[in-house]
Amino acid sequence: MSSYVITIGTIIVIQAIAVCGLNVIVGYAGQISLGHAAFFGIGAYSAAILTTKAGFSFWTALPLVIGMSGFIGLLLGLPSIRVREDFLAITTIGINFIVEAVFRYVQFFGGALGIGGIPRIVLFGIKLKGITFFLLCLGFLIVVLFICWWFTRSWASLACYAIREEETAASTMGISPVRFKLLAFVIGTAMAGLGGSLYAHYMQFISAGDFSFPVSVAFLSMLVLGGMGTLWGPVVGTLILGVLPEVFRPLVDYRIFFYTLLLLLMIRFQPGGILGEGSVVRRILAPILKGGRA
Amino acid sequence: MIQPLLSTKGVSKCFGGLKAVDGVDFDVFPGEILGILGPNGAGKTVLFNLISGIYQPTAGKVYFHNDRIDGLPPHLVARKGIGRTFQIVRPFATLTVLQNLLVARGITRYGHLSKVWGSWGSQSEIKAAMEVLEKVGLTELAHRKAGLLPLGNLRRLEIARALVVGHTLLLLDESFSGLRHEEILHLEALIQKIRGDGRTVILIEHNMRVAMGLCERIVVLDHGQKIAEGPPSIIQQNEQVIEAYLGRKGITYAA
Ligand SMILES: Nc1ncnc2c1ncn2[C@@H]1O[C@H](COP(=O)(O)OP(=O)(O)O)[C@@H](O)[C@H]1O
Ligand SMILES: [Mg+2]
Repeated sequence: MSSYVITIGTIIVIQAIAVCGLNVIVGYAGQISLGHAAFFGIGAYSAAILTTKAGFSFWTALPLVIGMSGFIGLLLGLPSIRVREDFLAITTIGINFIVEAVFRYVQFFGGALGIGGIPRIVLFGIKLKGITFFLLCLGFLIVVLFICWWFTRSWASLACYAIREEETAASTMGISPVRFKLLAFVIGTAMAGLGGSLYAHYMQFISAGDFSFPVSVAFLSMLVLGGMGTLWGPVVGTLILGVLPEVFRPLVDYRIFFYTLLLLLMIRFQPGGILGEGSVVRRILAPILKGGRA
Repeated sequence: MIQPLLSTKGVSKCFGGLKAVDGVDFDVFPGEILGILGPNGAGKTVLFNLISGIYQPTAGKVYFHNDRIDGLPPHLVARKGIGRTFQIVRPFATLTVLQNLLVARGITRYGHLSKVWGSWGSQSEIKAAMEVLEKVGLTELAHRKAGLLPLGNLRRLEIARALVVGHTLLLLDESFSGLRHEEILHLEALIQKIRGDGRTVILIEHNMRVAMGLCERIVVLDHGQKIAEGPPSIIQQNEQVIEAYLGRKGITYAA
């Protein structure tokens, strides 16, 4: 495999991890988030600081990074989740801008220069790069998908779906909406943190712009394209949106415009995404899949 | 004297200038079926929302087992043992009928974090849910998506979700409306049976015949106020009730 393909593949896998986290928040719990890049950034920055300034390795820092992202997700989620649905979109955008501004203007986070010299990940004494790093990321993606799959089999996921569908009815059945929304928020932001950490160690240099609002829009487009609330939707959406600009080079310059347009079109015409129920793709594939099984 | 299971003391709810519920006092005693009657817009549903914690009263108190429950959020009211249905049905549309019941069963899992994380499809949970589906006649539709059901079945689903947990008090908001005659008979029998299990029921009912047949006592609301209370035979002859209820109903029908 050429290094070009590995580079694209690695970025796609890292983004897919973050988008899986977004899926827990938006897809499973139905809480719109337009600030997911902030938590991707919190993961990346905590990993960068712990490894460059505090002498941690990727592995020793990892639990702290994931914990930190989830914890900050909890803190920021607490006030956000109590607001009405339409305000939640705006609140999460606000969170994204504030977090980005903190990275950009606070010296501790490297200011406008960002943080460089982030070490490569070492596993069994080998410095991971190229295909080995890609495989490590793939391994983490599989773990994340496994957690999502396991979550959807738990009663907690039913509670999240119930809140998503009919919050009032769910609450009169003893389900605390705040608790389960926060639960989804914490799981989702922790996954974003994991993705961010891998991103930092892959790029070895990060700056605030990597985690700006357009990145959140891109994450949401990937999720909506693939299918909110489905297990494989985040992977499919990230893969398609990661590969398209490489195939159609002119798209690269208009990436954000394209993502936003796609997001709006999907929500208008195919809200379930590619893998969602009743989607065009499913309808086309249904006879084939059924035929295959028979 | 028997202690009331639930009582409201001067409970009121204002929406802007509108007094939707205005200083209502009433008691429900254990094992009874209490009917709440009144013309459209009388404040019946708002009263249920005040009891179940969806709205906080502007004034007054609500006691359940002698504990104050006004001010509690809905999920804590539910955990005290009060279940309810909604007049405007609120199914979890993308979940199956069975899953809708398993959501409600979750109340038995609280306080055990491991159970919250446990599989939603455990054998005993499914068995309990299927038994209730059998009672309301939804067995065949157990694996159908709730959002695809017609209204009559959604009303049964509402009741099934309230029944699937051993709540002491059930609030049924116009569960009979939109049902066919034989469905009404079936549901009447079911409610009698629920009471037979030692549970208490408050039902809001528009259909006079049903209310008169099922309830031992009836509370009549009009313009948010309690205008009458007593056994069906007395209520039927109450001048104020006939005027408020039947009189206005005639107008709504004409409109
Ligand atoms: N959330 C609300 N905001 C404003 N007014 C409301 C609200 N809920 C109910 N009302 C008003 O309160 C009055 C009583 O409504 P309701 O309890 O639903 O009547 P019903 O006795 O038919 O169930 C009506 O006039 C209704 O318009
Ligand atoms: Mg009503």
